[in-house]
Amino acid sequence: MVFSCIPFVFFFLPLCLILYYAVHFLRRKVSCKHFSLENGILLVFSLIFYAWGEPLYILLMLFSTLLDYTNGRLMERFGVTKGRRVFFLCCSVCINLLLLSFFKYADFIVSLINGAFGTGIAAPGIHLPIGISFYTFQTMSYIIDLYRGEVKAERSYPAYLTYVSMFPQLVAGPIVRFSDINEQLHDRNITAEEIEKGLLRFMMGLFKKVLLANQAGALWEEIRLLGAGRTSVATAWLGAVCFTLQLYLDFSAYSDMAIGMGRMLGFRYHENFRYPLTAVSVTDFWRRWHISLSTWFRDYVYIPLGGNRRGVARHLFNIAVVWFLTGLWHGASFNFILWGVYYGVLLALEKYVWGKAQAALPGWLRHLYALFIVVFGFVIFAITDMGELKQYIGILFSFGAEGIADSRFLWYLRNYAPALLVSGIVSCPVYPRLFEKLSGLEEKRGRAVSVFAGAFIVALFLLSTAYMVSDTYNPFLYFRF
Amino acid sequence: MISDGKIRKLTVCVLCAGILFLSGGLLLMPKKEFSENENRYLEKMPAFTAKTALDGTYTKSLGDWVADHFPMRDFFMSLKTGAEMACGRKEINHIYVAKDDYLIEPYDRPQNTERIIDTLVRFSNKIKEEDVAVSLMLVPTAVTIYGDKLPACAPPSEQMETAREIWDAAGIPAVDCSEKLLAADEQLYYRTDHHWTTAGAYCGYLAYCEEKGILPVPKEALEAHTVTDEFAGTLYSKVNDYSHVKDEITIYGNPADELTVTYRDTGEVSDSLYNFDYLREKDKYSVFLNNIHSLVEIENRAASSDAVLMLIKDSYANSMVPFLAHHYKKIYVFDTRYYKEGPSAFLSEHREVTDVLLLYNMNTLDSDSGIRGIY
Repeated sequence: MVFSCIPFVFFFLPLCLILYYAVHFLRRKVSCKHFSLENGILLVFSLIFYAWGEPLYILLMLFSTLLDYTNGRLMERFGVTKGRRVFFLCCSVCINLLLLSFFKYADFIVSLINGAFGTGIAAPGIHLPIGISFYTFQTMSYIIDLYRGEVKAERSYPAYLTYVSMFPQLVAGPIVRFSDINEQLHDRNITAEEIEKGLLRFMMGLFKKVLLANQAGALWEEIRLLGAGRTSVATAWLGAVCFTLQLYLDFSAYSDMAIGMGRMLGFRYHENFRYPLTAVSVTDFWRRWHISLSTWFRDYVYIPLGGNRRGVARHLFNIAVVWFLTGLWHGASFNFILWGVYYGVLLALEKYVWGKAQAALPGWLRHLYALFIVVFGFVIFAITDMGELKQYIGILFSFGAEGIADSRFLWYLRNYAPALLVSGIVSCPVYPRLFEKLSGLEEKRGRAVSVFAGAFIVALFLLSTAYMVSDTYNPFLYFRF
Repeated sequence: MISDGKIRKLTVCVLCAGILFLSGGLLLMPKKEFSENENRYLEKMPAFTAKTALDGTYTKSLGDWVADHFPMRDFFMSLKTGAEMACGRKEINHIYVAKDDYLIEPYDRPQNTERIIDTLVRFSNKIKEEDVAVSLMLVPTAVTIYGDKLPACAPPSEQMETAREIWDAAGIPAVDCSEKLLAADEQLYYRTDHHWTTAGAYCGYLAYCEEKGILPVPKEALEAHTVTDEFAGTLYSKVNDYSHVKDEITIYGNPADELTVTYRDTGEVSDSLYNFDYLREKDKYSVFLNNIHSLVEIENRAASSDAVLMLIKDSYANSMVPFLAHHYKKIYVFDTRYYKEGPSAFLSEHREVTDVLLLYNMNTLDSDSGIRGIY
């Protein structure tokens, strides 16, 4: 189930919330020792949510969580020496990585072997279990933090399973670390204000996804399928911009909805995006894009490897490792690795070559520089077929293009300009700034603005419902990862 | 987001009430089986079985069911179209909103040209030994003929280039009606449907007659009747703008003809090429030749010749058949999407056939599986 579909918004979520609040506000005293009834409801709904799209792979998730839970308990009980703790850690991490490699990369690895040795091994043809990349990273963060002594082992398996399987963040992040919510898991404070703000945040995500991301995505799909003979340079860049907007709006909308629902349920997740398209450098972009993933790699790979404290050569090596892995995490295909390496190289260059000069440029030029790198980078990200990718990049730089601009480009602009313009505005921090200004207004005018905003939100909700009902194009990009 | 606490609470309450109202409506309201506007059967409540639950089809069908029976579905669909039109969109659900209230289906880049050519070549080789005159009529759709009505900057159609490629490669004599259509000044296509009008079909008929050296019946000799002005066709259903103008359907009858029409698949026999019952339904184009039949036999006891025609076609031909009927003692009409025995085999068993006409429009030629059934 995706968040932006009729069954979820009109049935699953209301039903879950009604039961959840009924239990929370009416019978909050009743609970088992380590596991409350609220968590029970959350767990049941999360499992239904997962089983809705992946009836069989739910067993995989149960196995994976049971493994980490058991290892955690064992580590705490028997991990008196460092050696033993390392054993439990390795046991858990290795099995997790093996499962991830098997279910995500088996086909890719087989194709690599076939390519290298000319063998003809049949690809196993496994389809990717939804959310495996996200929940594997969540469970690994738990076991590593436990090894480092930063958290205590969770005593209740159902509570641990609730943490991993929680439907707001199960399938597309943010990657919530156990250490961030282990206390909330057993004791959370739910207030009317939190519920209201959470719901509005969820709605913002829904609007972003249904009204904007899908439009940009539809145009990107159309441009991508045009083929070499019909694409002008301008059209190709328009396509790249569309994909950038789609990916950002789609993914950040998912995070908005997750954060909003978490808030409604009494959980506080960290922000996953901070307007990445307004970054001033590549380094800045990665502080703003998919923050839960980049901090995960920072804390569990980059810093353990020594970060930048062991000399230039070692630093470059560490950057290479982290960005190779970041690319690979996004998918079992060469283009994702290429995308990761692209960023690794650029970050190293920014660090050691032109970072200082770049920082001295005027602001608009720095934005332009970062935006160009990001948009071009997402072309690599978007096209998994290497031949097609090469052709598309060629067209971007006018090799094999149908002229600089053509009437088709104008046609797309004519049909999509309003949607793309709004998408662009939403990708900039215009709204928070506006809100800040407005909240300084005197009471009477402030109320008038609030009434307007409220009516606007209700209208957008009706419109989003209309788009969901006549649902023609509604993918969730990060499901693939 | 909303700085005033009371207004925020009110907004949230309105949103929640709206959600519960709509979900309650879905559960409690009576369900329709058929959507008139979309001209299709709506999804039925899926049955829960272990198999469908495990392979994910149960949840998929349940999701479709929810979307199909959502309260005020027509309102929401037209709301989306309205919003897109307000944003200046000239292409809605992949249909051009063109000038003079025309809705026009684009011509997508053909995917199957090679396969179609291959099928045609095999067909023509197969029937070479038979003594029949074959012709291939590929009809452009409104996107080509009404190119000047398309919204500004809309990508040009390449239908006739593809048609030319197919004619050249297939080696079957071509009937090209595009010039006659371009020169005509009547309404050649419906505003709300992907078919040509009877006036368009008459142009096609003239082009065919010219190619075959037949003397066409002049329009004045035919009786015209406007049978409906409430035709809301397939494109109307796709666009979901329920305030759009509707079309007239005019039919032409030749008083001289004495027809017997036999629908081989259902066994019905009629003396008319029309089934007027369809005028009461949504899909009024089906008035021509009684909608879809795998094989129809049309006998004309007052035909102008003893020739027998085998017509292998899509639905564009249905409105041209009334004109052709005058010239053939018998016409066998095949819809190859449903006729599975292969018309070429039929030909060797029916030696009285003198002419074969393949008639397809350029859009369904590529998107539909019909042409693959000819061999």
